[in-house]
Amino acid sequence: MNKFLDLFIKLGSVDRRIIFVLIAVSVTVPLIVSVDKDVRITANSQAVFDTVQELPVNSKVLISFEYGPSTKPEIHPMSLGLVEHIFRNGHKICATALWPDGNFMSTETFNTIAPKLNKKYGIDYVNLGYKPGAEAVIKGIASDIATLYTKDLKDNVLGAIPMMKDIKNINDFDLVISLSAGFPGTMEWVQFACDPNDIPMCSGCTSVQVTEVLPYIENGQVNGVLAGMPGAAEYEQLIREEFTDMDRSSAMALKGMPAQSIAHIVIVLAIALGNITYFIQKNRKK
Amino acid sequence: MFTIEIIGVWLAVLLTFSIFSYLYDDNPFYKAAEHLFVGVSAGYVAAISFWQQVQPNLFGRLWPQIDPQTELSIFGKAWYFIYDVFGWITSLFGILERGVFPKGGIEGHSDIRIIYVIPFILGIFMLLRLFPKVGWLARWAIAYIVGMASGLRLYAYLNSNVIEQIKASGVDFSADWFTIINKIIILVGTIAGLMYFFFSKEHKGVVGKISRIGIYFLMISFGAHFGFTVMGRISLLIGRIYDLIKFSVAQYYNATFWIMGIMIIILAIWAFKKDKQKQPEVV
Repeated sequence: MNKFLDLFIKLGSVDRRIIFVLIAVSVTVPLIVSVDKDVRITANSQAVFDTVQELPVNSKVLISFEYGPSTKPEIHPMSLGLVEHIFRNGHKICATALWPDGNFMSTETFNTIAPKLNKKYGIDYVNLGYKPGAEAVIKGIASDIATLYTKDLKDNVLGAIPMMKDIKNINDFDLVISLSAGFPGTMEWVQFACDPNDIPMCSGCTSVQVTEVLPYIENGQVNGVLAGMPGAAEYEQLIREEFTDMDRSSAMALKGMPAQSIAHIVIVLAIALGNITYFIQKNRKK
Repeated sequence: MFTIEIIGVWLAVLLTFSIFSYLYDDNPFYKAAEHLFVGVSAGYVAAISFWQQVQPNLFGRLWPQIDPQTELSIFGKAWYFIYDVFGWITSLFGILERGVFPKGGIEGHSDIRIIYVIPFILGIFMLLRLFPKVGWLARWAIAYIVGMASGLRLYAYLNSNVIEQIKASGVDFSADWFTIINKIIILVGTIAGLMYFFFSKEHKGVVGKISRIGIYFLMISFGAHFGFTVMGRISLLIGRIYDLIKFSVAQYYNATFWIMGIMIIILAIWAFKKDKQKQPEVV
């Protein structure tokens, strides 16, 4: 029995670098093998899908890109899925960014989706780009966009863009979607734009942020949230069930989910092992 | 053929491995990548903030583009003379093109908004922090920002995070059983959690018991937060490894394998030399 307990103590005190290697292997192998499995749809992801699906034709959606390359694996699949879903249902998109690197993310998203659905810049979508100022920018969009944005990201004067002729402020949008990785993000859109003006809102956020956004959903201030990579994977699955011509191989988050599950198993085992070792050592000291 | 795309890919792989190398030990690769990241981020944010906000929304409001046919008043002429002086200085005395202050004013706004002189001056005050003798002037700008931000946030926070959340804590007994039980748990958790942070009374007796329940709720909340954080970090790792797998193919000249191999060799030599330096001298 003692030898068995000694083995646990040895395992529990392995070099941290071995654990890093184990995590790396547990993530790499499923990505190379490329396991394709369905995910279980949660109520929050379904709520986001239903909100977009139930929009009347020709609705205007404001999407704010508040993430950058550092959180791209979690949020970018959501933005691709949401933009494609919105375009396929015949709605228009106005994009903004509260993070400077949000410009790259929005540009990449539109460059991927718009050409394949034959959507035209200025008619079907506009990218206003980044403005520094966090809450002040949201307040500006809520009251009068033209005072804040004189030109869009492509340097076109706002008044010369056909799509922007009917858009003055937040009240001209049927839905606001915040793709958020921190501050400023979803919470600021709720507080400064959607709550005061009663505009429906959805969020796509990093896993770290989910616990901060959930109280807003419980209360109906936000319709639904796509929570991290699993949320993105669920949305990818939902839109592929709706539009059967969509290619499943382009679903980045769905591809990453087997790796996510296996890495979690390894972490749970490591936590369990660490705790067992701790209690064995504690008992021996007594 | 080494195109810009291929160079970008090799650089991305090199920087990814440089950051990952910290998991082995703090090393020159990691330090270089870290410094590069901080420098590039700061430079990018400064440049984009200037061109997206300061130039069009501050200078553009102070000196909007005017019709060349318009007859300006004496004040107007003096005002645009200052603008031309700025334009002349920022174009390195006429050597470069006038990018920040283009001739005839900045496109986008129609009227001169002289009130924007105040944020312009406050902005200059902010930069005066760099000069110790007049650095105190920066406090005025900071005071304005703090006052404005707290005023702006107070109402919004009170409305969305306090009043709306208090409303949501109420129990609607006309709802179904599952909702009622769920709402009761939320109500108990909210009160117990708040009691834990109530320090005006010693945590003994009933108060102690309620605050103990509050600790359990807080622990569950921290557990959920930890779980989500782990999930987030693993997602980011998946993203990087996905790219490394993508860049390991012949199309990118097997960038992943080459850089990984070269880095392992260099790090091994570095670690060996470091260990040698650490060894005490034998007398």
